[in-house]
This record gives sequence, structure tokens and C-alpha cells, in this order.
Amino acid sequence: MFRAALRSLRQHKLRLVLTLLAVVVGVAFVAGTYIFTDSLKQSFDALFNAPQPDVTVSVDSGFGSSAGGGNSSSGGDQATTLPASTVQSVAGVPGVAAAFGVAAADGALVIGQDGKPIGRTGPPSRGTSWIPDQVISSLRVTSGAPPVGPGQVALLEATARAANVSVGDTVTIETPGGRITPEVVGLVTRGISGSDGGTLAVFDLPTAEKYLLGKPGVTSIAVRAQPGVSQQDLAKRIEKVVPPGSRVQTGAQRSADIADRLQTAFGFINTFLLTFAFIALFVAIFLIFNTFSMLVAQRTREIALLRAVGASRGQIRRSVLAEAAVLGLIAAVLGVLGGIMVSFGLRQLLKMFGADLPAAPLVIQPRTIVVSLVIGVLVTVISAYLPSRRAARVPPVAAMRDEVGLPARDLRVRTLIGIALLALSALAAYLGLHTLDNGTNASRLIGFSALSALIAVIALSPILGKFVVGVLGFPFRRTAVGRLAIENGRRNPRRTAATASALAIGLALMSAIGVIAASTKASVAAVVDDTIGADYLVIGAKFQPFRPEVYNAVKDTPGASAVAYVRQVPISVKDKTSVLSGVQPDLFPLVVNLQMQEGSAALGLGEVIVDDRTATDLGLRVGKPIQATLVNGSTTLVVRGIYKGAGPTIGYFTSIDTLSSVGARELDSAVYVRVAKDSSPDAVKASLTSELAPYPAVVLQDQASLKDQINASFDQVFGFIYALLALAVIVAFLGIVNTLALSVFERRREVGLLRAVGTSRSQIRRMVVLEAVLISIFGAVLGICLGVAYGALLQKVLEPQGITQLAIPFGQIGWFVVLAVVGGLVAALWPAFTASRLDVLKAIASE
Amino acid sequence: MNNAAHAIALSKVYGSGDTRVTALDSVDVEIEAGQFTAIMGPSGSGKSTLMHCLAGLDSLTSGQVWIGDTELSQLTDKALTKLRRDSVGFVFQAFNLVPTLSALENITLPIDIAGRKPDQQWVDLVIDTVGLRDRLTHRPSELSGGQQQRVACARALASRPTIVFADEPTGNLDSRSGAEVLGFLRRSVDEFGQTIVMVTHDPNAASYADRVVFLADGRIVDEMHKPTAAAVLERMKAFESARG
Repeated sequence: MFRAALRSLRQHKLRLVLTLLAVVVGVAFVAGTYIFTDSLKQSFDALFNAPQPDVTVSVDSGFGSSAGGGNSSSGGDQATTLPASTVQSVAGVPGVAAAFGVAAADGALVIGQDGKPIGRTGPPSRGTSWIPDQVISSLRVTSGAPPVGPGQVALLEATARAANVSVGDTVTIETPGGRITPEVVGLVTRGISGSDGGTLAVFDLPTAEKYLLGKPGVTSIAVRAQPGVSQQDLAKRIEKVVPPGSRVQTGAQRSADIADRLQTAFGFINTFLLTFAFIALFVAIFLIFNTFSMLVAQRTREIALLRAVGASRGQIRRSVLAEAAVLGLIAAVLGVLGGIMVSFGLRQLLKMFGADLPAAPLVIQPRTIVVSLVIGVLVTVISAYLPSRRAARVPPVAAMRDEVGLPARDLRVRTLIGIALLALSALAAYLGLHTLDNGTNASRLIGFSALSALIAVIALSPILGKFVVGVLGFPFRRTAVGRLAIENGRRNPRRTAATASALAIGLALMSAIGVIAASTKASVAAVVDDTIGADYLVIGAKFQPFRPEVYNAVKDTPGASAVAYVRQVPISVKDKTSVLSGVQPDLFPLVVNLQMQEGSAALGLGEVIVDDRTATDLGLRVGKPIQATLVNGSTTLVVRGIYKGAGPTIGYFTSIDTLSSVGARELDSAVYVRVAKDSSPDAVKASLTSELAPYPAVVLQDQASLKDQINASFDQVFGFIYALLALAVIVAFLGIVNTLALSVFERRREVGLLRAVGTSRSQIRRMVVLEAVLISIFGAVLGICLGVAYGALLQKVLEPQGITQLAIPFGQIGWFVVLAVVGGLVAALWPAFTASRLDVLKAIASE
Repeated sequence: MNNAAHAIALSKVYGSGDTRVTALDSVDVEIEAGQFTAIMGPSGSGKSTLMHCLAGLDSLTSGQVWIGDTELSQLTDKALTKLRRDSVGFVFQAFNLVPTLSALENITLPIDIAGRKPDQQWVDLVIDTVGLRDRLTHRPSELSGGQQQRVACARALASRPTIVFADEPTGNLDSRSGAEVLGFLRRSVDEFGQTIVMVTHDPNAASYADRVVFLADGRIVDEMHKPTAAAVLERMKAFESARG
């Protein structure tokens, strides 16, 4: 029996490849996820073994790790410093071989030859001081020499390449301490990680202190231990001499910290990929089920013959399952190979996005291969189980009959289950919408509702298919070809339903994402419109803070009715980190609309206002003092009012005077410009542009470009999701190709008859194509309805998260339908061609 | 008398070399218009091949075939399809109907495919003649074998073809249904002047024809006018014994 199974596999190679593609894709994403994760773990070892200080002392500012390549944010990377004298104290600790002060900060923008900062907006532009010790420095000089003195800089190789400078050239760097034009004396690489997409400029310590920190002091101290002294012991001894509030970390702890951060950062990728693998495998189940059902139907005679000569039902069933298992195995092996490509591609992709991934070879563990193979085989065998049972039910007498049709089973049970699930789904959605205050519960209920609605729609799809295909086909009813195509689409509701469902799943997800994406953008636009009263906004080219000269340059712009700046520092209240924005109390309300809910926005010294959400979360009340941790220690502030938070406008606001009184650096995060009523915005823009020309570290934005910029980051994420889902849709279309090809084979006598009574080849082709298009539109309609409904529900759930506007992207959904039509057309090409080329005589010859 | 179809030196060879089989060996045949012609012969005599070649379903190795005034061997697939649609009617042994269409839709299928309006009076006449008036909305699966074959006959006649080819039309039917179908074919010749060519190996079926052409080993070996079942059976037996 097994040999028979293998032989039948070989006969339908191409078609089976099409069927299995879904399994291959699913397994590839499972394997890819494993390989990616394992490789990441492996690269952590590299992290631990790389050169690094044995002990690092930094300021414990209460804002998590201040060292390393964390993300810079508009919250402002306020360098928190240790006095230089601490370096001396640490150097004096017994067991310390050497101690070096390090001054590092974001916001060292290397200016390219076009006068603009190099690199993309996302990754940080860091500056640091050189550690003149090859044992503990993570930087290596690859050409030239380390920088010495204010006139010298060393650049990361990639940075120098991007800026198109080499050793000996001078380069312009915008720093928090002003613009400098040092000579490039050396190129460096990072020891542990290949590239994080960011730029790096390396100075000697005094230069770094002056320009990066703007004040004397160091951001951390790198310590090398004497041989034989353990990191832990040394750390304990150092802890005794450093000022309170300092953090002392061993090299091992630091590595573990970085590894932790990376794992958290990449955890979502795992979830995401596994979700996608699940979708692909789910789609695969439909396609495999369809293919095997049809293969069994085609082979009815052959099976009956085997039964007639004595094969038992069990043997028939097992032979079909064996066929499925072999197929699953082939698909899984291809899937593992695909997984290697997936993880490799993922790594490249992350690199492109500037993710800091330590370089390491791909790790393929035996576990990865075993799990992938098991999943591939299991999914295929499970999908083929029902068809195998049908095969086992073929009576031996079927071998003798001319026309064998397995009795069509009743759809009633299936329909009842579908209706019950639909009711359940509606109930869950109703409950979900009425427990919106409880976010977790609501999203669980809506998720459950979505899942049961999906299964309900799949259960109901045969009944729906008969109806919908009939309605969709109505305009084509006039022609004989149209009638034939419509009836072909309706004759086997289960098959049509399974084919359409595969497409529906992919399009449902795409539509839901489409609704969420559109709603997110609409919400962003609404927030910008509502809150930002300014017409123009000046921000750092890399979201980095910039010097007050910028504000001074634009504050008297003719035609501007109000020009205000914002200065931001991190703040921590009750262990919750947020942003404290210092504003000019008289000017700020003119450029940003804060809706006060309680108290007043008239900010005095030591007073703050806070957004409603934070106030609720932390139990803050108007008039009550709060204990806040700021860059330079703890301060008591008084809550003066509570405003309604909206989009990016959240956190604490205070007056500039308060901010200065706690020792915040004089660096601005943004400058808002409002155009006077009787002035021309274009004229103001022109003045601003010329005034800002000497400051390449900042960019001028209007409301539209601000929206665009926020949207662009969403577009990247949504684009990635679309790309993955598109893969599921393509697999579904391959399923249509497969189903049609098998249908044509099954109906070859009918096609032969049609040809004999005068149907032309092109009419046969049109018939097959129309059937395919009807099926795919049906799938698209199912998927889009489901997707839009749940996208809208999801928007309701996400409303507290700031997605306040519901937007349905009708244009995009229109494109989905077009895509379905074109996809159906393309999917039908090959089956239609095969059908039109059928040999009439062979088709009608009675066997 | 004029011909509805005729063939000159019609040969059909399958395969080559050792597997070469001559199905038809330089056959000359004329099908007279308005007559019911039966082609008879034992299995493998080439009778089905002859019908397929005459009907434009199969290509010729050599020779020429005409339907009416049209010579078939030079026609493209498109032209042949059009010819089959407009000038030829078919009744096959099995699988004669499209399962997704109703009886009426099956009957008017060739006309619908051509995108023409059926001649309603004629279609009604045909339907009444085959006695299917009350079954028109039924799907083939809801009809008996005899009813299905009568639908097939009605379809073959509905477009008023030059010639109708019937390939063992009673092969799958019980004798009563078979007699009904043959009776209908006979009436369509007598009452409508239809030309019919029927391939059969049943002497009883052949007795409904005006003329029987006997085929053996790819050649026409005899013919008989006004046949009776007994005479046809006798003639067949004679061939069988001659072949040894």
C-alpha cells in the first residue's frame, strides 16, 4: 500500500507542490523563529566574551540603565554625571589596575557634505570619550590613531563612510556644546556588535566633557581589575568609595543587562512570527484538505478496485495518510531550509532598521529540526484525515460503476454549528464592548469573538457560497458560459468554501490591519489638529535636544504671533518614569492646547500639571505635593492642575524657571511657531527656513509634515505586517490554482462534452476564469466583511490607548477586491489553459 | 439524392512502427440527407472512429470529409468547433448532459453557446415530441437514464443541425427506454426530415434505420437497405464466422 501511495505522489508533483507551499511557509516561520532566537542567544556569549570594563561605575539616575546604546527619545538624554574626583577615588581602590572616566552622550551629529546630518532619523547619533586601554575598551582603532585634544576625532568606520570622509579630512560635528570641525585622525569599530545603524564620534576625555556634556564630570567610570582580582570583590570595594546614587556593575552584570534588554526587545518578533506561522498553517489545513478530498474523489475507481481485491478499509485509510505524511515531510524539510532564509532575512531587515544585533553565526539546533518536521507532518496528516476516512468508505462495487459520486453530505449540522458560533461571537463582542473600561477583559472578549466569528464564517461558508456566488454571478447569467461558471462555483459548496476560506483568512487580517492603520493615522491627525496650535515646529533632526541659539534665531521671526520652546528632562514619580517638560507659562498655551480638567495651568515655581491618565494611575491630586526624582536628585513639586492627555502630549509640564532651578541643561526639545492671523504662512516659513539655515541639527516641520513623520513610522510597521500577510494571500491563490486544476481534471468529460457540442476553447477558458474570479471575490467579500468588522471593534478596544478615531480605508479595501479579481484571473490561467486543451475524444470516450 | 455528409478515401492510423494500427482503411461513404443511417460492426471495427472523423471530432490521417458543402480536413479548431455547434448534433452513450444545467438548459445549450435566440416553436415541438414537457426544470441527476437520453436527443435536434451523430445511444438503457429513444430518432427522420447517423452493435437498434453500413477491420464490407433485426443479426453472424 505504501508503494501505491508513493507512486500516486509522483504523478501529481506540481499540484502537490502548490498544495504544500502553505505548509512550507508555515514551517519556515516556525523554524526561522527558532533559528533566530537561538542565534540571538549564541550571540550573547559573544557579548560576554568581548572586551569590556571589569567594573563600570555610573550614576543611578532611577531611569534604568544609562549606559549602552539605548534609544534616545525626545524626552532628552540629559547626561547625568559623576564628579571627576570620583575617578581618582576609584583608581585608588586596592585591586584596581586602571580607572578611566568616560563622557558619553547622544546628540553628536556628524554633518555630511550636503550640510545635513548623516544617518536616518531613528538610530542614535552618539559621542563618547576614548578609553586608552585595549583590554577593556570595546572600541578598536582600525586605521589612524586615537583622538587627542580638541581638534581631533575618531569616527566609526560606517559613520566615516556615510559622511564620505577618511583619515586626515576634517568633519563638521554638531554637539550639545556647539559646532566643532575637528580632523578625523582614526577609524574605529565596535568589538561586540557589528552595526547598530547609528553614528559614533570618539573624542578624548576633555573634549568629550566640554562638547558632549557641557560641564566637567564623567558619565561613567571604566575599571580594569588587577590580575587575580574577581569582578564581584572589586565591585564591592569600589561601592564603598563612590558617592551615593552611583551604580557599580561588574562586566558580567552589564552583559546580562544588555542580553536582557535585547531579549525583551526581540521578544515581540518571536510572537509575531509564530502568529504568522500559525496563520500560514491554518490556511494550509484548508488547502491540503481540499487537495486530498479531490485526489480521493479522482481515485474512487482505483480505491474501489483495491477494496475489491481485498484491501481493508484501514489499509486504504493508512495509504492516504502515508501519502500525506510523506508530503508533509517533504514540505517540512523545505520549510526548515526556508527557515534559515527567514532568520537570515530577519537579521538583515533588523540591521536595516538599525537594530543593535551582535554578530554571530546562525544556530540550527536539533530541536529546531525535530519540531519543524513534526509540525509539518502533523499538519498535513491531520488535514488529510477526513479525506482518508472518505476514501475508506468507498464501496468495492464502485469499481464496476461508470459514474461514481460519493454522496454529498448534509450541510445542516455544519450550518447549525456556524449559527451557534456566530451567536456566541456576537455575545462576546457585545460583552467586550460593554466592559471597555477593563482593557484586558475587553480585548480578550473581542479576540474570542473574532476567533469564533472566523470559525462560524468558515462553517457557514458553503451555504453562503451558494448564495453569494449566485448573486455575484447574476450579471453573467445571460450567457451560457456565465451560467456554467456560476453553477460550477455552486455545485460543490464545500470545496468552493474551503478554497474561498483560505483567501478570506488572509484578507480578513489585512482588512483588520488596514482599518487599524487608517484609524491610527486618523487619530494622530486628530490629536495634532486638536492640540498643536502652532503652525510650525522646530525639532532636532534626530529628535535630539538642541542649543537655545535656535530659539533665539527664530523668536523674533516677522509674522509669528507666538514662538515658544520646550525643554524636557526625564522625571520619575512613584517609580514611574515619564517626561517633565519645561515651558514658558505665558507663551506655551498659545502654541499647544492643553484641555484642563482640574486646577489651573498658571504654573509657578515648583508647580506642575499632569495628564489625567498619569494622575489616575499614580493617585495624584491637585494641590498635593509629589516627590519627584530628576536628573540631579529628588525634588518636591506641587500639582497645580490636571489636563487631558492626548497622543504625544502627555506627562508633566512645569515652568522653565522650575526646570532651571533643578539644574537641567540648557537644551531645547522643540520650538513652536504660531503664525499671526494677518500674516502669510508661506512668508513665515521662508523666514524660518533662512533663519534656521545655519543650524543643520534641527528641522522645520509644519503640521502636515509632522503628521507624515509620525505616520511614516506606523507605515513601516504596518508595511511589514502587510508583507507577511500578503504571503498568506499568495498561498491562498495558489490554493485556487490547485483546486481549479483538480476540478478541471474531475470534470474533463463534461468539458469534452461541451467542446463536442460546439463550445469554443476561449469559451471554456472564460468559464474556468469566471469560476475562479467568483470564488476569489467570494473569499474577498467574506474576509473583508470579517476584517472590517473586527478592525472596527479593535479600534473601540484601543480607544483608551489613543486610537480615538475610526477610519475605514475604503480605497484600500477597493484595492483588495481588485486584487482578488486579478488574483483569481491569474490563478485560473493555467487550469483554464489545460481545460481548453483537453482532448475532446479522450474526454468523452466511455471508459 | 444529395448528401448530408460524405467521405473519400478516409484513412485513420494510430501510432507508428510496431504499434501502428489502421483504424480506418481508405473508406468511401455517403450519408444521404433525410435518412437514418446505422453504422454497424464488431468491437474494434473502426465504427466509432468513422463517426468521430465524420463529425469533425477527430483528425484524419488522409482523405477528405465533407459535412454539407464544407470540407473538414483543412478547418482550424475554431472553425470545426463552430461547425459542430451549428451543423452537427450529438447523442453519446453516456455522460450526455451537463450536470449543473436543467433539462431545458441542456437542450438549448448549443444555441446558448452560440449566443443565439432559440427558435421557440421548433424547440417546443422537439420537447413535445420527446415528451419532456413536465421535466424541463429538473437537473440530470433527477432524471432516469431514458429521460436523460431523450434530453440529449432533444439537444441534438434543437439547433436544426445538418446531421445528428448518435454513438451507441441505447448502450446504457433498458430495452423499453432504448425503444423510446430509437422511436424518437425514427420519428425525427420521418416527421422533420432530420439526417441521423447512429453507431451501434445492436441489430435491434439497427433495424430502426433506413440503411445499415457494415464495417470490419476499418473497411466498409457491406450495406443493407430497409433492414430488419433478424437480417442484420444474420449478416453479423456471417462476418463473425468469416473472421474465424
